[in-house]
Amino acid sequence: MTDDQPKRREDEAEFSEEQSSLLKITMAPTLWAAHFVICYALVAVTCAKGWDFPTVRAGLLVFSCLVVGGISLIGWRAWRQWNVSETGDFINRRGRAEDRHHFLGHAAFLLSVISVIGAIFVTLPLVFIGGCQ
Amino acid sequence: MLGGAVVLWLVVNGAFYYMSSVRPGAVDKRYARHILIGGGIILPVFVLTALLVWGLSILPDPRRPGDGLVVRVTGEQWWWRVEYWPEGADTPVVSANEIRLPVGQRTEIHLTSDKVIHSFWIPALGGKMDMFPGRDTMISLLPERAGTYRGQCAEFCGASHAWMAFAAVALEPAEFDAWLEAEAADAVAPQDEAAQRGQEVFLNEGCGACHAVRGTPAVGLVGPDLSHVGSRKTLGAGRSSMTLQNLEAWIAHTEDLKPEVKMPSYDLTGTDLADLAHYLNGLK
Repeated sequence: MTDDQPKRREDEAEFSEEQSSLLKITMAPTLWAAHFVICYALVAVTCAKGWDFPTVRAGLLVFSCLVVGGISLIGWRAWRQWNVSETGDFINRRGRAEDRHHFLGHAAFLLSVISVIGAIFVTLPLVFIGGCQ
Repeated sequence: MLGGAVVLWLVVNGAFYYMSSVRPGAVDKRYARHILIGGGIILPVFVLTALLVWGLSILPDPRRPGDGLVVRVTGEQWWWRVEYWPEGADTPVVSANEIRLPVGQRTEIHLTSDKVIHSFWIPALGGKMDMFPGRDTMISLLPERAGTYRGQCAEFCGASHAWMAFAAVALEPAEFDAWLEAEAADAVAPQDEAAQRGQEVFLNEGCGACHAVRGTPAVGLVGPDLSHVGSRKTLGAGRSSMTLQNLEAWIAHTEDLKPEVKMPSYDLTGTDLADLAHYLNGLK
């Protein structure tokens, strides 16, 4: 029983770390989704209520830059977690804890890439369309 | 756009041919990874971003204000009521079933509808815009090259929806001005005896209750204005080309050519039918 204690603590620590990595995976797409909903909803309400569009547009552009920056940061941290530049292992198919850790970084990195592209594509209409028409 | 599509098609199929026929077999992992990341992620992202930027930059064009001329088009079942309002005009130039536009000028097309929803679409000149009963919508078009383009109702509007088309004719500005002046004038008087008889048939058969031929007792507003019907490219809102033979067929078999149309088929034969077609064809 006493021999098991350190092992269990190690498992728990590992599990809690993987839990935070799992959360990290969802963060980039969540930011992208939130950015999408906020941009479209705010523009729709602005146009319906007749609010000052240039101000809302400028605010949303700043918000978009922050979102793109945030997703990029998540992507950068995921890239480091994946650590492919050092290990050279793209697939992490061995089932060790370290591989699981790298794989979650890999998945979070790819999701960050698609999320940053998505957020930029959602922002482009704001850049090019300057009115409610 | 077509050029880009052709290049992409050639690249994708060329790569497939190369990998399957010229150099079959396994390739180096590193090489394969570069192909996948380059061709599957980086290239599509750049191409799609460029297309999106270009698409968004031209998206506001159909909402831009025009250079003066306004054309009001009302969707009817199944034809187009057309009014030209040159800048400063008090009364419109009334026409039907054909849109003429000056090249190099942006023209506002104001759209509405009589009973059901239609959609105004000249694919060669721009996107489509719906026409709603009781509501006005607007699309502005800027033809860049003279020519005749096909327009089509793009919203299902009843039995003869597919036959609700029109010719859109883009003319050089001077040519357009001359045409508009001619279109504004009354219909020409019958030029010969046959046309004279045709006009009598037209008035006796009661065509004037629904159709207007300006300068004659025919002042109906139910159907298309026929003052210059002979100068149009098509007959029956894009149903057939404007020929004597087609005019005769149209008058005698309207319901066959355009199901559920309001105009009845006329039981005319022989010289009456020929003279009437001749008269209408002469209304240039």
